[in-house]
Parts: sequence; C-alpha cells; structure tokens
Amino acid sequence: MVVYSFFIFDRHCECIYIRQWLNTASSAAQPLSRPVTASSAATVATSVVEKPTAGSRLSMAEQAKLVFGVIFSLRNMVKKLCGPEDSFLCYRTGHYKLHYYETLSSLRFVMLTDIRTESLKSSLHQIYVNLYVEYVVKNPLSPVEHAGGEGVNNELFELGIDSFVRTID
Amino acid sequence: MNVSGWFEAVASCSSATTNSRSQALSLHPAASHRENLTSSSFKPPTPRPGHLPNMVVYAVLILNKAGGLIYQRDFNPGLQKLSSNDYLILAGTFHGVHAITSQISPTNETSSSGLEVLESENFVMRCFQTLTGTKFLIFAEPRQQNLDVVVRRVYELYADYVMKNPFYQIEMPIRSEGFDRHLNSYIKPHQ
Repeated sequence: MVVYSFFIFDRHCECIYIRQWLNTASSAAQPLSRPVTASSAATVATSVVEKPTAGSRLSMAEQAKLVFGVIFSLRNMVKKLCGPEDSFLCYRTGHYKLHYYETLSSLRFVMLTDIRTESLKSSLHQIYVNLYVEYVVKNPLSPVEHAGGEGVNNELFELGIDSFVRTID
Repeated sequence: MNVSGWFEAVASCSSATTNSRSQALSLHPAASHRENLTSSSFKPPTPRPGHLPNMVVYAVLILNKAGGLIYQRDFNPGLQKLSSNDYLILAGTFHGVHAITSQISPTNETSSSGLEVLESENFVMRCFQTLTGTKFLIFAEPRQQNLDVVVRRVYELYADYVMKNPFYQIEMPIRSEGFDRHLNSYIKPHQ
C-alpha cells in the first residue's frame, strides 16, 4: 500500500495539517526527513508556489484547497441523496483513492492512497483517537483553535503519524 | 399456394403418396428450424453473464458534456426523492467535482481520470465517462462488485436507443420510450 498524503481540516474549513510522503522516483532526491506541514508551508509559501514539488503539479497548499472543495461537495451530495445520517467514505479514480473520516466535531481527516487500498475509515479513526486526541487535544500548550496549524504540528504527533502510516503499509 | 399451406395439406392428407410424403419429411426439419428461430426471437432477452441476481440499482443519471442533467430515473427505493431542480444542482456539482478530482492526483501521470467509484455508508456510485464527455452515473446498494457490467450495458442501450434515434437532439434531455423500456427490463429483473 502507498500513502501519498494526509490532511486534517478543522470545523472552520481550514486546513490545519498537511503531510506528504514523497515516494515517487523523480522526487527521491528531495530530503524525506523534512515533512511539509501547514505552518512550514505557510512560512515558505512563496517558494512553494514558485516551485511546486515534483510529486504533483500543484503546491500542497493549493492541493489542500481543492481536496477540501471536493470532500465538502461530495459530503453534501451524499447527505442530500441519503439523508443526514449517511456519510461519505471514500472515492476512487484511475490513479488514487481518497479516504475520508469526519468526527462529530466536524474535524475532517483525509488520506490519499493508491487504488488497491481497502477502506481506511477505522485507521483514520485510530489516528483521531490515538494521536490527535492524545498529542494535540490533551496538550496543555496547544490552543483551542488551530489557526494556521498551530499546535497540531508538534513533534510527537508527527512521529506518531509517521510510524502509524508505516504500520498500515 | 404457399409452402406452409401446401405442407399442412400434405400432413392432413392421410392417403398421400410416398413421393409427396418424402417431400414433406424432407421439408419438415427446415420448417421446424424456422419455427424455432421465430419463437426464440419473441423470448425476453436472457440476462447477461456476470450478473449478480440480487443486484439492486437505485438510480441512473446521465450527464451531458457540459454537466447538464439529460436523464434521471429511479428504479428501486433507497435514495431520497429530490426535486428536479435539486437533481440539476447535483449534476452540475458532480461535474465540477469530477474535473477537480483529476487535478488533485498525487501521481505523475499526465492524463488522470476523474472520479470512478464513490462509496458511502448506504450506496455506491459508479461513474463512467465516455470519450465524448457524457457521464453515466449508476447508484447501487453498497458492496456491488460488477457495476462495470451494468454501466457498459446502459451505455450500449444509450447508443442503440438514444444516439440512433434520428429525432434526438444531441445534449438535450432524453425522452425515448424505447430507451426507458429497455433500461427498465434490464435493471428491474435484477432486484
């Protein structure tokens, strides 16, 4: 299984965490140890826009906006078709698969993987319960609202995400 | 006198000559073969192989290349009833989302297809886009594996009964009785 990227959106529709795993051959020369997070993407936004990463044609900040637009529209479409208790799980194109999990507090977790991956709803739920709640919500130094990804991109959370994604491989 | 009348006359006549009887016998296999052909053509079309007999298809939508809804039909209860205006909005929204999903592909392929399968708790949707941009959306119950077969068959019916209709205006809503009837006879037996 290949995990391409991971996003968290808060209830204000803002992207508070981006993580990209560069695994394509053309981008192997880039340093893998430096993850692209929301805050680091914001500080180096200009350079990111000018030089998009080799893994995709769009910068990560641009891609996050598009991903949010897609999941927001599809979620509304599903709720309109099947009632408010239904929820959108995932979609698949010819080249990738997007998994979606939404908590009751409208926190949205999105993961892009290859198309052979089975449903990751429980894995995204595990990320929420075991990593987000433990390292972000319970962190006394973390603010209540994570504007610009503040408080989410702490070291324990990132290490946890990294090791978790390696276990679901 | 035509052939079948002559054949009946020969068969009803018990005192036929051996010559005419041998002719009747030699005609008989061909006649019965023709009869089989005509009777089999009146049978309803047999289900295509590769079908689950318990497949439930909720609805079929067809979008033209501009994102306009040109056909919408519910087959089984499972989706909520929407107004025709809501269906138009839904079709337009999906058209845009479909275009964006091909943009956010994380892989390096230049030609990325858009959304193909959408899964939710209560249904699965298969989207098939033709080379000309027409989209076929099939809504079915979850965990259906062979929706590709259904999509392909609906596309065949569309080609046969919509595109070959000389009165059909392209990109306009589909009002074809033959298409309705064949779609119904294809999808309904599989519920």
